[in-house]
Parts: sequence; structure tokens; C-alpha cells
Amino acid sequence: MANGESGLLHATTGAGKTYAVWLAALNAYAGATPSKSKHAPPLTVLWLTPMRALAADTERSLLAPLDDLDIGWTLGLRTGDTNSAERAKQSRRLPTTLITTPESFSLQLTRPDAHENFSGLKMVVVDEWHELIGNKRGVQVQLALARLRQWNPELTVWGLSATLGNLQHAMEVLNPQGGRLVQGKTPKELRVDTLLPPEIERFPWAGHLGISMLPQVVQEIESSATSLVFTNTRSQAEIWYQAILEARPDWAGLIALHHGSLDREVREWVELGLKEGRLKTVVCTSSLDLGVDFLPVERVLQIGSPKGVARLMQRAGRSGHAPGRPSRVSIVPTHSMELVEAAAAQTAIAARKVEGRMSPLKPLDVLVQHLVTVALGGGFSADELLKEVRSCWAYATLTDEEWAWALAFVQNGGSSLQAYPDYRRAIPDENGVWHVPDAHLARRHRMSVGTIVSDSSMAVKFWGKGGKSLGSVEESFIARLKPGDHFLFGGRLLELVRVQDMTAYVNRAKGKRPAVPRWNGGRMPLSTELSDAMVARLGEASRGVFDGPEMQLVKPLLDIQLDWSALPTETTLLAEVMVSREGWHLFLYPYAGRSVHLGLASLIAWRVSKHQPNTFSIAVNDYGFELLSATEIDWEDKLNPRLFSIEHLLEDVLGSLNAGELAKRRFREISRISGLIFSGYPGSPKSTRQLQASSSLFYEVFQKYDPGNLLLTQAQQEVLRQELEVERLEQTLLRLQRRQLQIQHIKRPTPFGFPLLVERFRENLTSEKLADRITRMVRDLEKAAGGEADEDELREQARFSMAEPIRSQSEKSGTRRPRPQRRTRINMPRPRHGF
Amino acid sequence: MKHVQALSVAGTTLLLLPEKAAYWPEQKTLLVADVHFGKAAAYRKLGQPVPRGTTAANLQKLDRLLSTHDCRQIIFLGDFLHGPGSSAATHKAIAAWRACHSTLDCLLVRGNHDVSAGDPAPELGIHVIDEPYLLGPFALCHTPARHATHHVIAGHVHPAFRLSGRAKQSLTLPCFSSSADLTLLPAFGGFTGGFVFNCAEGDQVFVTDEESIWQVAGAG
Repeated sequence: MANGESGLLHATTGAGKTYAVWLAALNAYAGATPSKSKHAPPLTVLWLTPMRALAADTERSLLAPLDDLDIGWTLGLRTGDTNSAERAKQSRRLPTTLITTPESFSLQLTRPDAHENFSGLKMVVVDEWHELIGNKRGVQVQLALARLRQWNPELTVWGLSATLGNLQHAMEVLNPQGGRLVQGKTPKELRVDTLLPPEIERFPWAGHLGISMLPQVVQEIESSATSLVFTNTRSQAEIWYQAILEARPDWAGLIALHHGSLDREVREWVELGLKEGRLKTVVCTSSLDLGVDFLPVERVLQIGSPKGVARLMQRAGRSGHAPGRPSRVSIVPTHSMELVEAAAAQTAIAARKVEGRMSPLKPLDVLVQHLVTVALGGGFSADELLKEVRSCWAYATLTDEEWAWALAFVQNGGSSLQAYPDYRRAIPDENGVWHVPDAHLARRHRMSVGTIVSDSSMAVKFWGKGGKSLGSVEESFIARLKPGDHFLFGGRLLELVRVQDMTAYVNRAKGKRPAVPRWNGGRMPLSTELSDAMVARLGEASRGVFDGPEMQLVKPLLDIQLDWSALPTETTLLAEVMVSREGWHLFLYPYAGRSVHLGLASLIAWRVSKHQPNTFSIAVNDYGFELLSATEIDWEDKLNPRLFSIEHLLEDVLGSLNAGELAKRRFREISRISGLIFSGYPGSPKSTRQLQASSSLFYEVFQKYDPGNLLLTQAQQEVLRQELEVERLEQTLLRLQRRQLQIQHIKRPTPFGFPLLVERFRENLTSEKLADRITRMVRDLEKAAGGEADEDELREQARFSMAEPIRSQSEKSGTRRPRPQRRTRINMPRPRHGF
Repeated sequence: MKHVQALSVAGTTLLLLPEKAAYWPEQKTLLVADVHFGKAAAYRKLGQPVPRGTTAANLQKLDRLLSTHDCRQIIFLGDFLHGPGSSAATHKAIAAWRACHSTLDCLLVRGNHDVSAGDPAPELGIHVIDEPYLLGPFALCHTPARHATHHVIAGHVHPAFRLSGRAKQSLTLPCFSSSADLTLLPAFGGFTGGFVFNCAEGDQVFVTDEESIWQVAGAG
């Protein structure tokens, strides 16, 4: 660093990355600046951190050596939480080191004096780069860095990253002009184990929350001084917190809840409590994945699937957070297949098979936003900016056409043929320098900088004057409640009093059966590394090898699967075909993660229906997918190698996209980032739902009247890459081609098929004319009115036929198999994510 | 599946058309609700680019209906214009359309959007009145409030119906609905959303895909 080199520093958590970089920076740039001097040096170091919550903690860490070494540098924070006094102070004079987030920094770049402010900058540190590289926030950082390098070609840039499967790529994206990859030497000791349920009989049906594991979890919490309980969703966190508190009322005040929808003050209180060791345990979501070091944490519990090896390691690293101390994580399975996942995770970690993360390629919405940002921040000339933009890894292959389109988009909202004269964000003046002429639009742009798109949310506050703010929930959840209804939020039972000005006013409540908000957070797909390890375990099982306590425990379930159908292995692809009153079912188990399954299911449905118009209902999970058709399909005939060909892959996937519903949903995020849809000024009383609802309307209008619009193209490409992971899809197809297809005709859903059958969230794909679909549905409706089909009958049947053989396992043969419908009484709560 | 559905209501017959309008043969009247002219332009004015073409498409659809049905008058059941200060281009297009149909009586029952948008310019020759407008057995309204003596025909809610069938399929489509004292029309405009509507026992419901029309509830 002293030589002005850039690079990426990788080390496991708790190894002291922050200080390594900070001390080197001080060494290189602080020279002799005694604290007594009148003025602190001007802005020298910029510290980018992905989370606001981390900024304050980083400030404390960086401050310590300044005092110890008597260096006269000033430190400042600039995030969405920074108050106006501090902002005013910074606009007079920036501190020597500024700690900020990618969004806040982009906002700084919209200031007309941005060049003046930042041209003296010597060094940028990007903290937690592994969190940013794979998403659009990372692209925003790439563009901002290109801007800064333009102003100071000597700028050094250092990234800090936890373990990734492709560190070299991470380094190149951060420093496209070259740099050094520095890796920590001491591998951290990592212990992974599983909390085993006492028995499996009832276990598969316990639902995806895994509450039946509560006694063991409580026991484990008891045995550690401080622990973290990670869940995969905010709703799950709420439910677990409540359950632990009910089991141990004496822990009131010692346990806490932490997730992204809680009020900042609440979260900060929890984080401080953890740091100071005042809390016994915190139930949390990915909100605590990152950053702030909690030294007292001894133990991590992961409820449900960790989804990926890197993520499990990251969470494990939250315990024993100091050099030399071991990290320990226990997986708490919420359904029996997660026992296989847990076993697989252990093998993957032992073999150090960790996922990589790739930078997005050419996201045009981020580019369009950046163009307006730069136009505001002093203006730009098109040729120079193009060179600068192309110096970013993400835009290195940006074509002249794409660039011209982006310029035209900010100038008049669309291609030159289809102008939108009322719509101008930035235009070039007579010298070719682009500016934003309209102050109103400038203000609007500053409000919308950023690439995080959240669902429309509503503040939750206690009713009454000066009622305390609790956090926020999604508007769609509140919309389903009536005043007087109870719900669980922030670990409290609340009663809705009234909804007014985008705020839900609540009172404390007593009683039972509250609703639990469901936040539409992204569902992470199971990673290739983890699913490969799972298939390997299943392959062993098919050969009669059940290694380890997890596999021993799940054996009865796998035995049934093997008895009724088969197990997928490394060399076979399992397909199950079933006919029911609902129609013709195909279950396929490629074990490639839910997003690839969605792409694969759409692709197969599309290829089958190209020659025979049809409509499919698609259900996916991380292990496989179901295609359901209302009309007859001979899968034995259709399932041939051609179906898995990679020829015309892109063409067919695009075709399946147009026939499906995915692209429309993705369009909302893109239209928001590119400024096509404005989500409103903060505190504006108007519901943003109006605008959000209209994005699907926008999509239809665009498709009808301006189909050449590149944002539509991008919506498609993003679906291809992010939702469907098209590269992973192609690799999956290649691998499936090498496997032997094994078609099983089943009379009732198998343990693997059942969770897909009852999955409620479904995609539709159709190649039929709308009129034909309506006609068929109306016919179904008439039949139903004639008293023929009972909606839930199949579901009931499935439940009972599933439950019965498991009982017969214990009862053994001898008794005649009872008619399933009436006799067996095993209560299965409706599973949603698994079984 | 039909291209027109006859609805017997209040002692007369309405023809429900897949173009999301109703024709009343007895009075040679076309009933149209919630056109929302200039909605796309209003978005453009707010700085949100929406492609052109929605106004033209709406007007062409009206032309088609007027040429296939013998119309003496057309009654707009509210929300004719989307918002205040509609663009000159929108106004010009409507004026040109009006000039082609100069002998046609045009009537607008004021809706909530019309109150804020203001009445259409007088040179368009559209007679504007407050709801309810009583005509024959009907009270023609924008908002679907019950009327003491007359059967109400209204718009405002942009009704849509969720149709579900075998294989866990479902579709949401714009719909007409009719009960003993109220008939709802779907929104006519091309750039309008829908509101999924829960029909009551005995309601007659018809869905449309813009080309055909199906009865999905309350048959017989």
C-alpha cells in the first residue's frame, strides 16, 4: 500500500482485516500530522461499507488508533441516518476520512462541487466487498470508483472480503486495471454439527418452521453464554422469538429479536447488548450476517437450510469472532430433507467447496441512473464518460448502440423514433456538456438514488401522541388486516388500531392466534456446491450407505421413497409421473436449486407445448419441480433427450419467458432503478402502491406500444441471469444429459413429490390462446357446479396416503391397509417450503 | 364463448360487448365507463415515460363499436378524463373523433376523476350531468350506490373476476356483473388496472378477453 498498489485483502472473519488496511493507510498517508495542528488534513480516505448499521461501528474501530498514535485526522459518517448538523458541517469541510455507504456516496456525486470535494482523495476502502460484488450495488460502486479514478489516476483502492470461491474475479472487478490479491494465512477452525430431532415419525410433517425442535434449541441456548439463532425469513424469526420466550419466560429481557424491518433504535439497542454481552441470545435474520463484531458470541444456531456453503461459513464466523478462537454452528433441520442438507454441508465444508459470486454484466438501469447522477454532479461530455464507464468491469463490453440508447433514454425517455417529449432528464448544452435542466427532476433523482428496491412498506407505531415507532411491515400485509386484528411484530403481540397516512397504529394486545407478517424477501436458491453434495449423499443412500447420524435418522423416509419410486443419484435423473383429478403431473428432481428449476420447468413446458398448445402450472423447490397440466400428456413419450438439449437454449428460454409471468415481475425493479417509476418522496401521504401496481400495467403498455424498449430487454435478460441463472441452467442441462432418465409411474405422491404438490405459489406458462383457456376453465367451473370436483379432496387424499405408510412402518404388516380417507388421523400442518 | 351476451335486466335487454362496453338496443344507446382519456399523458407529464398510442386505441375501439351498433347516443359513466390539465394532443385527438361523429349525442355522468379534471371542453359538445341520470328503468351513475327506485348501472370499481380451473390454474379478467338492483361495467380504457371483485350469490358475472365474452356465474 505504501507503494500505491491497489488490491483485495481476504481473510476469515475475526482476523483483523480492518486494522490491517487502516494502519497501512495511516502509515502511507498520515505522515506527520500532529493532532495539535490547526486544521485536520483534507479528505484522504473514503471507507465504503454495505450497511448503515456497520458505519458507526467502523467509526469506533478506526478512531482508536488515531487517539493512540496521536494522529490529527478527523473522521466523519455520511449515511441515510446522518443528521442535518453533521451534513452541514461536512458541506463546509469534509473530514480526513469519510465513512459512507454506496448509496450515500452516489448521492454525494450528484453535487455540483463533487469534483472539487473528491479530487484530493488518496484511497478508497470497500468493506465487505463479497456482499456487494454480486449485485447492482456493487455495480454502483464500480461506476463511482471509475469516476474517482478519473479525478485522481493515482487513487488506490482496497477491498476487504470474506471467503469466496472466486476471489480473483472479485479482485479484478474492484481493480480492473490490476492489483494484488492478499490472502490471510491462518485458516479458521470451524465446527459444524446438526441438532437431531428425537424421532422422525412425526417429523416430516412439522412444517417448515421447525418449532418441534424448540426443546433442543432452548437447551443449546442454555448451555452457551451468548448465542445467535439465525433464521431464513423475518416471519420465522418472529415466530421463533415468541416460542423461545414462551418456553423460558425467565429469559425475558435476556433474549432479543433482530431483523431488517425493525426500527433502527431497536436494532442498535440489540447490537449494543450483544457487544456488551448483556444478551443470552438473539434471534435474527441475514440482518446480522455482516460486519459488527460481537466478541461474546460463542455459538451459532442455523434454523433451516443454510442454502449455501459460503453463507453457512459466514454465519458460523459470527461466533468465536477473534483470532484463534473456533467458530461453531449447529444446523437445526426444519424438515427431514434438511437432515440430508446438513450432512451434505459438512462434507462440502470439509472439502472447502465454497460458492463464487459474479458481478452483474451491463445492467442498463444502473447506467441510466449513473448518467443522471453525473449530469447533476458537474455535467459530462459523452465521449469521455463512455471511456470512463467502459473502464468498469461490468461495462467493459458495452456496445456503442447500448451507450447511444442509454443517452437517448435520459434525454427523451426512449428510442429516437418514439420520443417522449414531455420527458427530459438530462440534455447536452451547446458545448456538448450534459446537464439536468429541471430542478424538480433533479430533486426527484436525488431521492431515488440507489438500487435496493423494497416492497411498499408501512411504518408501525404505537397509537397515541408521540407513540413509539416499532419498524415497518409490508403494506400488503396490513391491507389484509382489519382494526382489532392481532399480529406479531418485533416480538410483541399487537392489535391494529387504525391505518392513517401510511402508518399502522397499534396497541399492545393479549390473547392467542396472531397473524404473522410475511415479508416478500428474496428466497435464496440452494447453491450448486451444496446440492451436489446432497445428491452424493442420496446416491450413497441408494447403495445402502447411510453415513452419519443425520442420514441414519432420515433413513425411514428415504426407504419409503425408494420403495414407492427411486432416489436421484449422481448418474440418474428421477422423474415421477402421476394422474390425479387435478390433471397430469410430472415431478422431476434435478437438485439444482429453485431458480434453475424454475427455468428448467419453464423450458420443458415450453418445448413440450410448442407442438401442442397447453397451459402448465409450475411448482418448484430446491430439490425439483412439478409440471401440472389439465389435459393429457404422455410423459413417457415426451421425456426424451431432445427436451434437455442446449441447442436453441436462449431462444427457447426467451420464448418460455414471454409465455410466463416472470419478466413482468422483474420489470418493477428495473423501472424503479432507471427512474421509470418513482416511489415517492419520504413522508408523502400518497400510497406508493398505486405506482407499484401500475408497473405491471406499464409493462403491458410498453410491450404493446414500444416493444423495442431496452428496459424490457433488460427485464428479460435479468430474469435469464438472476431469476433463472441461465448459465447454471445450461450447465445443469449438460449434466442432466449425461444422466440416465428413470421414469417412475406413481399412484400417490412420494415423500419427494408431496411438498411440490401442495406448494401454493405457482407460475403459469401457456402457449394456448387466452380464449381457449377461458373456455376450458368455464367448462371446469360448470362441472364443479354440477358437484363433481371437490377442491381440497386431492390434497386430503395426498395427506392421508402419505401419512399412512409411515404409521404402517411402526405397526408393521399384518393388519389390512385401511382405506386412507377416513381412518388415519395424523395431523399435518400445511407445509409451504418443504415437508 | 360468445361475441355478445344479452342481459335481461329491469324489464329490458342490454347487450354486453367484449370491448368492455354495453349496448342498450331499446334506446339505441352505447354505455361506456371509465375511459380515463389522457392517463398515459398525465404520467408522461409527471416525468414518467409511457408509450403513446393508448388514446388512439381507445378512440378506434369506440369507432368500431359505433359502426357495428346503431347508436343514437353514447353515455360515458364517469372518469372520461383522467386528470386536470390533460395534454393538447389528447384534446386534439378527442376533438377529431368527435368531429367524425357530430350527429351523435354525447353525455357524461360526472365521476370522481371528472370532478378534479374539470368538464371536457365545451367545443367537444359533450353534455355533462351529475349522477344519477335517470333514463327508462335505469339510474346511470359513476359510483355504484343503490338507488331507491331505479336499477343502477355504474363503473368506478374497474371490476375484474378471478377465474380458476383444474390443474391449479387461474386467470384474472375484466368483468361485467349484475344483481337485482345493480349492474357494473368494466373499465373501457386500455391503460387502466382492475380490481378483483367478490361476487355475491346469484350475481351474474361475465368475463371478457376483448374478443369474446363468457358467463362465469349466475347462469340461468
